[in-house]
Amino acid sequence: MNNEVTLMSVAKSEWIKFRTVRSTVVGMFIFVFLTLGLGVLITWLIRSHYATMPIGQKLTFDPVSSSLGGIVFAEFAVGVIGALFISSEYTSGAIRTTLAAVPNRVRLILAKLFVLVVSMIVISEIVVIATFLIGMKIFSGVVPTDSLSDGAVLRAVLLSGVYLTLLALFSFALGIILRQSIASISVFVSLLLIVPLLGFFFPQSWQNHFQKFEPINLGGSMMSVTSKPLNFAPWSAFAVLLIYVAFLLVLGTTMFTRRDA
Amino acid sequence: MLKVDHLSKRYGDTLAVDGLDFDVNPGVVTGFLGPNGSGKSTTMRIILGLDHPTKGRATINGVAYHDLKEPLREVGALLDAKAVHPGRTARNHLRALAASNKIKRSRVDDVLEFVGISSVANKKVGGFSLGMSQRLGIAGALLGDPGVLLFDEPVNGLDPEGIRWIRDFFRSLANEGRTVFVSSHLMSEMAVSADQIIVIGRGKFITQGSVDDLTANANGTVLVRTSDNKKLTSIIESLNGTVHQEHDQELTVGLLTSDEIGQAAFGAGITVLELTPQRASLEDVFMELTAGAVEFGGGQIETIRHE
Repeated sequence: MNNEVTLMSVAKSEWIKFRTVRSTVVGMFIFVFLTLGLGVLITWLIRSHYATMPIGQKLTFDPVSSSLGGIVFAEFAVGVIGALFISSEYTSGAIRTTLAAVPNRVRLILAKLFVLVVSMIVISEIVVIATFLIGMKIFSGVVPTDSLSDGAVLRAVLLSGVYLTLLALFSFALGIILRQSIASISVFVSLLLIVPLLGFFFPQSWQNHFQKFEPINLGGSMMSVTSKPLNFAPWSAFAVLLIYVAFLLVLGTTMFTRRDA
Repeated sequence: MLKVDHLSKRYGDTLAVDGLDFDVNPGVVTGFLGPNGSGKSTTMRIILGLDHPTKGRATINGVAYHDLKEPLREVGALLDAKAVHPGRTARNHLRALAASNKIKRSRVDDVLEFVGISSVANKKVGGFSLGMSQRLGIAGALLGDPGVLLFDEPVNGLDPEGIRWIRDFFRSLANEGRTVFVSSHLMSEMAVSADQIIVIGRGKFITQGSVDDLTANANGTVLVRTSDNKKLTSIIESLNGTVHQEHDQELTVGLLTSDEIGQAAFGAGITVLELTPQRASLEDVFMELTAGAVEFGGGQIETIRHE
């Protein structure tokens, strides 16, 4: 009988660990609640005020990103889920028990990534599609709507789910590097919210150049149907965010294999 | 079998482990003894591949831990009983561990039963007492039915009944032919639970042997009562022995054997009333050995890594 530890056996173990702690369950609930709940609230408010909306806003109105407006808040819940998946092992000391069972550290990270990617992509896509469809129902008859049968719309909706998944990986990578739950979450929030604020200290021309690299703007590009002039095109934004995540993951895994647990 | 080869570990300026060299054999309980901060836990972490050695290596049946194909089936370890996610239940913690090494789910319930915490299997680990956590840690170590077992300070937090249970448990593991390696800073505990003892101090190997060997080689004393203590004292001092006047009529003689003292007394015509060799306790041996080790460190006690 072959009982060798494999990527799949470790993934199975990590899946048990992922779903048996309250932080994951509560985090997922908050994530779904914010995306869906705020989506309903935002679309309902837009519907009731659409008649009085200035014509300029009406011309650039994007039903997709409007209906998914709750993501701006939900992404922090996603960040917490990702970071805690590894940092809580350090905070509790459980990382030593884990590594005694799985001495191959690269394999451990790959297994955790696998669990995080699969669970995040499945939940995110279901939630964003549901939120979009409910939003369109609320809009219908009063506000212009979009349909998933339109390629650009489908892309924007699906990339919203991909954006959230990549954010979870982003904070997971920060968790590997920093090994502290609070530090990882703080840095994640800072990169999303505070770094964009720093842009205001620089001349407008600089801002125009750099703001498109900020994670939140990359997300904005990925989930809108219409490209904004100073931002990346959707797939380019996806590629840039993917490079960020890949860089942090490679850096984190390298540190993880070298240092003492 | 567990083998440690020229092992050294440096943390910044501190040499936590300094050229350790020893074997731990199957079939006996081997105690790993040293004062707090002497490098026991560091050595155990290196054996488990958690910390990287600065020099040397540790192997299990000839293989480095990192290269074990089925780690939990070869080595079971309990380093820190509280090193478990506090929000997870005992059963889920063990299920996750079992799954990683393809160990059957039924085994989880078996080990929970064995250590006696089945009734709290579905409770969160964060609410466990240290004793319950120790038992959970032991359950985790036993999951893969391994041939090599490592326990770092396992009696900490156990009540007297638990300590007795764990001693018998170590003994039975060793009797089954397993390698059992148990660290402790408590000499008295090792004296009753270990067969073989490895003593380290300040990261260096000091000595190794059975409890009997260690006490036999130590400098015991001899209790002497004679008809003329004054005369005997001067004779003993001329033979380079040491004498302490204990009570009115008793002398404690060091550095000489009871044979030598008896011969000397007979030669001088002194009547010997009592001549009793006093074996050093393991505690005495330990204090003597590790006191020497402290001198190596140049008194930098505060810089040693805390375990």
